[in-house]
Amino acid sequence: MFPYAEATWDVVDGAMFMGWGGALPGMTTVIAMAACVAVLVVGQRSETAKAKRFDK
Amino acid sequence: MEEQLAELAAKVAELEAASGGGSVTNTMFAETFYYLTIPLMIIIHAGFLAYEMGASRLKNVLSSGVKNILAFAFMIPTFYFFGWWVYWGFPTGLPGAPGPAGISGVEYANAIAWGWGESAQYMGPNIADQASGVFFGAFALFAATTASIMSGAVIERIQTVGFIILAVVLGSFAWVVAAAWGWHADGWLVTQWGVHDFGAAGLVHAVAGFFALGVLINLGPRIGKFNADGTANHIPGHNMPLTVVGLMLIIVGFWGFLMACVIVPGEAWSWYADKATTIYGTPITLSALSFNILMSIAGGIIGAWVMTRDPFWMMSGALAGIISCASGLDIYFPALAFLIALSAGIILKPCADWLENRGIDDAVGAVTVHGTIGLYGVVMLGIWGSGYPALQGAAGEAPTISLIGQIVGAVVFFLCGFVPGYVVSLILKMAGMLRVREGAELAGMDLVKVPANGYPEWGGDAPTTPAHPAE
Repeated sequence: MFPYAEATWDVVDGAMFMGWGGALPGMTTVIAMAACVAVLVVGQRSETAKAKRFDK
Repeated sequence: MEEQLAELAAKVAELEAASGGGSVTNTMFAETFYYLTIPLMIIIHAGFLAYEMGASRLKNVLSSGVKNILAFAFMIPTFYFFGWWVYWGFPTGLPGAPGPAGISGVEYANAIAWGWGESAQYMGPNIADQASGVFFGAFALFAATTASIMSGAVIERIQTVGFIILAVVLGSFAWVVAAAWGWHADGWLVTQWGVHDFGAAGLVHAVAGFFALGVLINLGPRIGKFNADGTANHIPGHNMPLTVVGLMLIIVGFWGFLMACVIVPGEAWSWYADKATTIYGTPITLSALSFNILMSIAGGIIGAWVMTRDPFWMMSGALAGIISCASGLDIYFPALAFLIALSAGIILKPCADWLENRGIDDAVGAVTVHGTIGLYGVVMLGIWGSGYPALQGAAGEAPTISLIGQIVGAVVFFLCGFVPGYVVSLILKMAGMLRVREGAELAGMDLVKVPANGYPEWGGDAPTTPAHPAE
């Protein structure tokens, strides 16, 4: 996953995170966004279901 | 001509003075940088104090606090007496031979880390040494953190002196050995296996978490925790808001903890003149930490919220989020850190339940949050960070991060914690110094250990405080 050809820090003068120059950063960003949305959907559903138990 | 020469000499002198001033400024910056990490890390201790007092029942609230305060108080001098020496003495393992970086081995440790003889000059005020004291302070607070992690797990039934002995073994020896092997640039785990654990997920958190597990096996559960059929009862603490705020304080202090894991540039002991590095000499920026710490806190909270909806576990999830990413906070991409932390938040409560179903009464989930998730973080870096140079050096010479290396590191960190925790607590148990007597546990440990009352106006038999002194 090291984004440079040689496995040494001496060649690094910019971005040094995993996946730099590849698809990983974009993919993980999209997945993280989707996870946030999914969590909110699940949270809303379960909270609504629990709240309904208190309806008179 | 002479005038020109004099002018030139004056300019050279001016430049030399300016350069000297810059050097002094950098030295002051470096000293201040580490100095400020110390009070920040004391906030971790304040957080643990609030957290475990809140998680205690009313009858034990002060004794839990006293235990935590004493852990801090004993950790500092014992780390001064011998913990600092262990760190510098044994990175290459036994018998303490010097390593390739030239800053390790028993001979080196003898020269800089004892409080007597010639080495005492580095263990006290010294106008020519603006580094040793602040480095010692930061490491002593790492040690105090390990003791605090264990402290929460054993509340409401451990003896005070037995606990302090365990805290000293953990904070001034067990984790220090793990740090010497897996954190020091000469550490054999680093040089031979490419272990990379920038933020100490394994060598602080996992060691402390599994040390606590070893102790819990011998200590046993609190009275009433388990039923005859083995099912567990929930023992709620007396103040959930205090516990949750305590957890948030721990997270505040973590910024100091992780800041102290950075080596600033421009000093004789720095890796680079112009770049900050990890303790391994690999580049890092405080911006990297900001991105990844914040994203991992968020991921951990969200993951734990999905699974539990419980504020205690949500804030524990925040801790778990940071710990799960701590090994690679220097090189993770923020969205990846978020996803790893999210997964840690999701597995947190099931892992704690698994442990509880095996008869372990970990009052605050410390074994899971710090131990299990710490190892999870070490291994995660092996999965995602393979191929990264683990140490400063030329291509082909520096070891690289690998899954196998991180797994080896995880196993060693587990053993560094669990074995001494189990053995020393077993010895204390045989000596009758581990657990309080049953009657005292039932009555409440504050009655036995503390000549004060946490909430003097609370309870049916509490004295009524007059509204006015004259009444």
